[in-house]
Amino acid sequence: MDQIDPDHHDGTSDATPGGVEAKRRPGELGFAIFLLLASLGLLWSAYGISGFEALSAPGTVPMATTAVMVVTALIVVVKTARLPRISGETFSRDILPVVVLVFAAFLVAFGVALEPLGFLPTAALFLIAAIKILARRSWLWTLAVSLCSLALIWLIFRIVFTVLMPAGIVPEAEFIQFFRNLFSGAGE
Amino acid sequence: MTALWDFLTVFTQPQLLLLVGLGTFAGVYVGAIPGLSVTMAVSILISFTFSWDVYPAISLMIGIYMGGVYGGSRTAILLNIPGAPSAIATALDGYPLAKRGEAGQAIGVTTVMSFIGGFVGIGVLALAAPLVSDFALRFQPRDYMLLAVLGILLVGSLSQGSLVKGIFAGALGIAIGAVGRDPLTFTERFTFDLQIMTGGVSFIAVMIGMFGVSEALLQLHHVDKDAVRQKITRIVPSLSTVRKHLPLSLQTSTIGVVIGALPGTGGDIAALMAYDHAKRVTKNPERAFGDGAMEGLVAPETANNAAVGGAFIPMMTLGIPGDAVTAIMIGALFIHGLNPGPMLMIDQPDMFWFIVGALVTANIFMLIFGLTGIRLFTKIVEMPRSVLIPLIMLLSIVGAYAVNNSLTDVYWMLGFGVFGYFMRHYGYPLGPVILGVILSRLLDDNWRRAIISEREDFWRFMGGVVSSPLSLTLLIAVILIFVSQTPLWSRGKARLFRKKES
Amino acid sequence: MNKFILGAISALTLSAGAALAEYPEKEIQGIIQWGAGGSTDTVMRSVTPHAEEALGGTIVMQNMTGGVGAIALNHVADSDADGYTLLMGAENPLLYKVMGLGDKDYSDFTPISILARGTPMLVANVDAPFNDYAEMMAYIKENPGEVRFGATGPGGLPSVVTGMITSVEGGLDVISVPYDGDGPALTALQGGAIDVMPAVLGAAIEGIRAGNMKPLAVFDVEANAKLPDVPAVTSFNDGYSTYLPWGPFFGVFVANGTPDDVVAKLGAAYAEGAKNDEFIKLMDDRGFTMMGISGQEAQDFLTKWQQGTTWLLQDAGLTKASPEDFGIARPGE
Repeated sequence: MDQIDPDHHDGTSDATPGGVEAKRRPGELGFAIFLLLASLGLLWSAYGISGFEALSAPGTVPMATTAVMVVTALIVVVKTARLPRISGETFSRDILPVVVLVFAAFLVAFGVALEPLGFLPTAALFLIAAIKILARRSWLWTLAVSLCSLALIWLIFRIVFTVLMPAGIVPEAEFIQFFRNLFSGAGE
Repeated sequence: MTALWDFLTVFTQPQLLLLVGLGTFAGVYVGAIPGLSVTMAVSILISFTFSWDVYPAISLMIGIYMGGVYGGSRTAILLNIPGAPSAIATALDGYPLAKRGEAGQAIGVTTVMSFIGGFVGIGVLALAAPLVSDFALRFQPRDYMLLAVLGILLVGSLSQGSLVKGIFAGALGIAIGAVGRDPLTFTERFTFDLQIMTGGVSFIAVMIGMFGVSEALLQLHHVDKDAVRQKITRIVPSLSTVRKHLPLSLQTSTIGVVIGALPGTGGDIAALMAYDHAKRVTKNPERAFGDGAMEGLVAPETANNAAVGGAFIPMMTLGIPGDAVTAIMIGALFIHGLNPGPMLMIDQPDMFWFIVGALVTANIFMLIFGLTGIRLFTKIVEMPRSVLIPLIMLLSIVGAYAVNNSLTDVYWMLGFGVFGYFMRHYGYPLGPVILGVILSRLLDDNWRRAIISEREDFWRFMGGVVSSPLSLTLLIAVILIFVSQTPLWSRGKARLFRKKES
Repeated sequence: MNKFILGAISALTLSAGAALAEYPEKEIQGIIQWGAGGSTDTVMRSVTPHAEEALGGTIVMQNMTGGVGAIALNHVADSDADGYTLLMGAENPLLYKVMGLGDKDYSDFTPISILARGTPMLVANVDAPFNDYAEMMAYIKENPGEVRFGATGPGGLPSVVTGMITSVEGGLDVISVPYDGDGPALTALQGGAIDVMPAVLGAAIEGIRAGNMKPLAVFDVEANAKLPDVPAVTSFNDGYSTYLPWGPFFGVFVANGTPDDVVAKLGAAYAEGAKNDEFIKLMDDRGFTMMGISGQEAQDFLTKWQQGTTWLLQDAGLTKASPEDFGIARPGE
């Protein structure tokens, strides 16, 4: 199976990376150049840690690894530039379709809203919106599925594992204390 | 005789038996959820079991530990998202099997192999603990460094696509591992003078991002495609399958025990090294590695469970933790009024045999829980993607946060998720990145310790390497493996074989 | 600006004060500055359940590592000063400023309780060619730059102890090999990767009992009850009396501006918790000296500790910035 089906080159398994051999996918050269530039930046930053002070300096290993990054990134750029462009693929359809962009935006919004809004409201909004968009089913179904799974996740992480996600606008701790009081009150 | 009695404590007390079982059961799920780690579970148990006796507390912890190390393989196979770092190698061949609908068989083999690996680890702990811990203590900084170099050479076998891209990914991983304040001199590295960067990047966050979020983003490409139906009729592997893989599993278990017993290395590195070993010694796998080779499941799963027994070796004989979980258990013993240390085996030999007994019990429970309840797990993958994808993303966020209660880790995780998405599209392997992050500190810290110990004199350092049998062996292994990966070797081998034929 | 802060603080105090009748009315976060399984972690996890009992509330403990503990310190300092976020830490933040590791230290915090203090000591590999402190110093003089000392980074206990030796003996020509904690360093000591390690007594005691490492001297003015045969370093050189007793400590803190009655309530709870027999036995087994001080006494202890240690490090040439720059007075001035 040398010719990879264009609907299948998703690289969902790490073992079969999604690149196409001997062909250049849209945006691949740009990504390689980005990596090269980033590597150069990191090499410069690594040099700034301690320069060529000593073999044991904190910057020695970072400098060596970023140098390897620069060299390999350069090879990749040269190799990629020589490859012919793959036919029939476009960046906006095969690499970054609208749905992926939307979800990337969702994730960024999640990260931004998490602290001020708190975990429960943010996660609820995210799940409802995401499931509604993807499943295109009734609001009732969407709400039921997303809120139930959120409740489950919250119970496991917050109650069992006492992971204190940012509470934000929800008075979570007071809420839990209320139940705890009820519980201990009943126990006494 | 008393040793036997102590060993049997768990079996004779229903309460302890129940706790080990409960722990193992919970452990499988803790291990399977990326972001919930055994380390976390065990440190919470310290407060939870504070007022208990020491036996029940330890029983529960050991159950969670055994189950958790095994549980990491579940999500690795079913979703391509390793539940724990030690299951990264399992995803490489496990997920292709799930894509064919053979997840049931993969989980069956994984379970039986984890069981075998677990037993080898416990066996070595019970019979040769002092011997192994003496050996482990002999590792000097330079040996740890050589071990890390040996680990980095695994990049070759983890990058199925392009080797150059694999090397890039590995180097990137090492650089990621260096971010933050250097733990030896507290110098800031790659922090760009930002306060939030000084804490470094949690490698669990990198792993969850690269495997979890990027996988979820990729799945968005075909939300509407039906999930693969999983065959779960044949779960328990046939005796002949087990027998066939027995030699390999014993070799990889040995790797697991030794790497696990070394303070400073654990199941994650052991599993990757075992995977590499399997690839090297398996001449004709039924399926290619990376395509669903059984050997690719056998090796990491035996090794990471064998590493559990291994990690207890320095803990029981010297009071030195073999990994993060045993470090917390030492704390637990201490809180319960024991004095973990080299005298523990002499002062309280019952504790040693009790722990061995509890480990054996946990291992048996792991087999039982592993082979049952698979149906429930496979249901997860058969869930509609429209629900599964948002849930994976949410779990990734919560999981990344939970590692160190830090929002910064969530941002890192999301960043690496998007980055990993592009890497997958353009054929950059992700395994080497994680490998690099795992090995970064081992390599960097020990290189610096080794060269400082020799007063910055490189030749004195090399003199130390060649005059120590252990270092020399490691150096030779590094050279052999390195040469075997270069084109020179294959050319030379081809010439050699042609000569023989003529 | 100052007025604004004062106003904000008093507003906070007022609003918190209104709800105060019930403190704690929700669970309290305890941020442990170091990783799970470390000594700070163990101490905090063993005292807090007793303190919870006395307080009648729940304290959820979390480990927050990174940046040599500065991440946790900044997190608590930036949280609301309402007594619902506690910092469970060790001594090293007092050195952040002079070591260039951060711009906050315990002066931004109110101590709830300084629980206990550790005693440093010198231990050596069993095969080391010296058996006590005096022999070690003689050996180092004969073989300059050959003996390997373990270290745990700038500001760590080993750096203070070696700083003391440098000041008292007028020099110490050894190789300093850095480790990320005394646990890994003591492991390396037993494996022979380093020859001498300055460590807290509690971390070394089991290894000494088993004969896996040998004690050279206790860094205190008198021998320790846990190791009565090991001489105090002052018996070799009286110059150490200036600096000793000295030791790392564990304490619980809240951000400045926390209402006084909350501080008092928490302080009482931890004082009660620290009196628990199990906890006392546990600390004693590990050779820690119980302190259990709070309020002004704790504040004075912190000031004195910071003055002594920062100036010691400054005189040994180990600091990035002079304590003077931060208004830390030289002891005795």
